Amino acid sequence: MESAITVEGLRKSFGSREVLHGIDFQVQAGTVFGVIGPNGAGKTTTMRCLLDIIRPSAGTLRVLGQDPRHGGPGLRRRIGYLPGELSLEARVTGRRLLDHYEAVSGPVKRGRIDELAERLNLDLDRHTRKLSKGNKQKLGLLQAFMHDPELLVLDEPTSGLDPLVQQEFLAMVREAKDRGQTVFLSSHVLSEVQQAADEVAILRDGRIVTIATVDALRESAVRHLRFAASGITADDAGARLGRVPGVGGVEVLTAGDGVELTAVLEGSIGPLVQALAGLQLTDLVLEEPDLEESVLRLYGNNGNGRRGNGSRRREPQEEGSSHA
Amino acid sequence: MRSPMPLFRRAFVDSWRSTLGWAAGLSAAIMLYLPIYPSIGGSAEMQQMINALPPEMTKALNYDQIASGSGYTQATVFGLIGFLLMTIATVSWGAAAVGGDEESGQLELTLAHGVTRVQLVLERALAMVLRVVLLAVLVFVLILALNDSAQLQIESTHLFGAAVEFAGLALLSGTAALFVGALSGRKSYGLAAGAAVGVLGYVFNAVGRQSPDLDWLLDLSPYHWAYGNSPVANGADWAAAGWLWGISAALVLLSSLALQRRDVGS
Repeated sequence: MESAITVEGLRKSFGSREVLHGIDFQVQAGTVFGVIGPNGAGKTTTMRCLLDIIRPSAGTLRVLGQDPRHGGPGLRRRIGYLPGELSLEARVTGRRLLDHYEAVSGPVKRGRIDELAERLNLDLDRHTRKLSKGNKQKLGLLQAFMHDPELLVLDEPTSGLDPLVQQEFLAMVREAKDRGQTVFLSSHVLSEVQQAADEVAILRDGRIVTIATVDALRESAVRHLRFAASGITADDAGARLGRVPGVGGVEVLTAGDGVELTAVLEGSIGPLVQALAGLQLTDLVLEEPDLEESVLRLYGNNGNGRRGNGSRRREPQEEGSSHA
Repeated sequence: MRSPMPLFRRAFVDSWRSTLGWAAGLSAAIMLYLPIYPSIGGSAEMQQMINALPPEMTKALNYDQIASGSGYTQATVFGLIGFLLMTIATVSWGAAAVGGDEESGQLELTLAHGVTRVQLVLERALAMVLRVVLLAVLVFVLILALNDSAQLQIESTHLFGAAVEFAGLALLSGTAALFVGALSGRKSYGLAAGAAVGVLGYVFNAVGRQSPDLDWLLDLSPYHWAYGNSPVANGADWAAAGWLWGISAALVLLSSLALQRRDVGS
């Protein structure tokens, strides 16, 4: 398969501070690739390098077969870009702004702008600087999508969007993929991209921690287990569960003539089901795998994981905060 | 559809409010100053009053020629209020064109589209030049219209030359602001640089005229290059006009190179 983005040994320093320490990844054409990481991990810096807004200190980049440093306007017309810190303060209406970008990067299919505006529920006749954060974000998405570019580079695309619009956005990403477009998007939370992305890179402190398919992450992810059973003592239940591979954090309470038990499961569910088969279950809940938790453990397992998030940066969950 | 010079059109058309505002300000200043010339500048009492002022002050304010229509127009419109308004306008445009746009985060998005950085700087600079030319034309036309009724007795070719130097002087401040904004990515640095060119030029002229020992200050003053030979009375010093416009053009080119070579928004 052809690759839409190839990044090899990408390094970037601002002054004496290196923020990307040699990043390698590939995005196959026609796929959706997510990069996840806390603020300050280097997601925005990586994306800006792809668009030649900033220049790498070292490494090779290929975007749609060209070096972004020399691809020029021709290359950038084939890309739709949503900046992470979107600023639209001009005294123009959304429609005029989009007309302007169409004049620069078009052509745009007739009616495409209105169609997208309707889907995102965005009023194009208001002045951009009077728009709320969410509406500015919609306008930013619109200018990235409107000319149906071969590659979409979207930095924190769901930031500021309400859940309904987030769903609409995910549908737009799926449609783009169905049309053969490639999507490269970032987020600081996995849940925002796990529905859309085929593959996910996890970035922390300027290094890629892991690249995996969402399915692989799902397999390595933890599930929360909760059940109630009758006719068994707490000790027996605890011992029985404790023997199942991948089960940990077992907590048992006696309830009536039976028990209530909670635990976490990592890995495959087969052995657990066998262990549960002999019990008289009155209730059983095995939750969806929590990818968020497994990703956070990946941040944490590698070196001093979470410590870096505290002093220098804002909380990863905070919306609309800065990230470089 | 893609169309020619989209950045120029956006920079020019979207700033029509600002252009119109400065045009109104310049017109008001001209309409206030020039019609009262017969009762002020041309009168004998006024000349006596000027003679009573300290000569340093009259020189600093260019009031030494205020008794003639052309000297009065030179000192009040071109030398003071018009110079002030035009310089503020071009410096704010120049600093906003790249530095301000970058600082507000909007440049990043524009550069991610199908434009080159050189094209961006050139088209935005062209929009600034066009606005300056329009304002200079307005000043030229208004003064010409008042020439008879205000008894100014200005020759139109001399007035034209003065307007060319007036525009060139303002452009120099504006392109200095553009250049430093493009170099640093900071609007405030651009504003400071543009204002410095305007203010220092004015001060060097005012101080340099006080004594022959300070003549060298005049050579450093774009204000003096433009107005040293009183163009409204004597016609333009075309070499000086060439310097003003030429350095401005060079600063535009340097701005595009500066932006071309660096990271944006980091």
